[in-house]
Amino acid sequence: MRGLFKTLFGDARHVVAVALCLMVTLAALRSPAAPAAGLVLPLCLLAAAAYLARR
Amino acid sequence: MTGMLLAVFLTAAVEWVEAYTIILAVALSIGWGRALQAMGAALAALAALTAAGSFLLTRIQDLRVLQLLIGVFLLLFGLRWLAKAVARGAGLKALHDEAAEFKALRGRADLHDRRAAWLVAFNGTLLEGLEVWFIVVTLGVQTGHLAAAALAALLALAVVAAMGAALHKPLARVPENAIKFLVGAALLSFGTYWTLEALGYRWPLGDATLIALLAFYAMGGLALIRLYAGTRARP
Repeated sequence: MRGLFKTLFGDARHVVAVALCLMVTLAALRSPAAPAAGLVLPLCLLAAAAYLARR
Repeated sequence: MTGMLLAVFLTAAVEWVEAYTIILAVALSIGWGRALQAMGAALAALAALTAAGSFLLTRIQDLRVLQLLIGVFLLLFGLRWLAKAVARGAGLKALHDEAAEFKALRGRADLHDRRAAWLVAFNGTLLEGLEVWFIVVTLGVQTGHLAAAALAALLALAVVAAMGAALHKPLARVPENAIKFLVGAALLSFGTYWTLEALGYRWPLGDATLIALLAFYAMGGLALIRLYAGTRARP
């Protein structure tokens, strides 16, 4: 099961990166900046891709 | 729907090319009949997994929960593919080389044992096919076009099989990294769109946002490749 998960979604770093992106997005959605959430998630994910590409 | 089918087709094409390399290496050891038999068994297992996966997902009654689940799965999958494609495009990681993969497989001692070689072909097809299965089920269930998604994956299989039958050598010229880059960006776009929508966000441009998201991830990814390639080239 662990192997299947890793095959599909990568290692723990990927999961943590997506979890952090979602937490930032949720915080944005619950703040006065909620309309900007559509920009927050893509920017976070691109930053995550930049980080993961170097690992 | 066209974008979804294209994403499924391209994902499947890349994975079937990798599976074909394994089948070809095994076929040269134990014959095409047994190698294709192993591939057929793996495809049957994948078909059963597709049926089971779609059955389980369609049991989720709350559509927002389903959308969130599929969205997050696609973010995880798409991020992995995009990050890997950026790393390979910038030269931080070696490109996947089908010819080298084939050579390494042919050098394996267990490939001359009929049973072990059959298992190599079965496991190889199953492992490569798992990513196809995942994309077919998630995109198919979420868009309500599971049969069309499965057909797109089968069409990719037919195309790769036809190319393999014509060439009888690893399909090394298929631009795997470019395809993975594009599919990674597309899956991140679908994942972003559905995740935020499930969380209650209303996209100002509606479905057209998907094109904007794809352009954002593709251009962002290309910028990262240029940045990292430039950093690497500097002494």
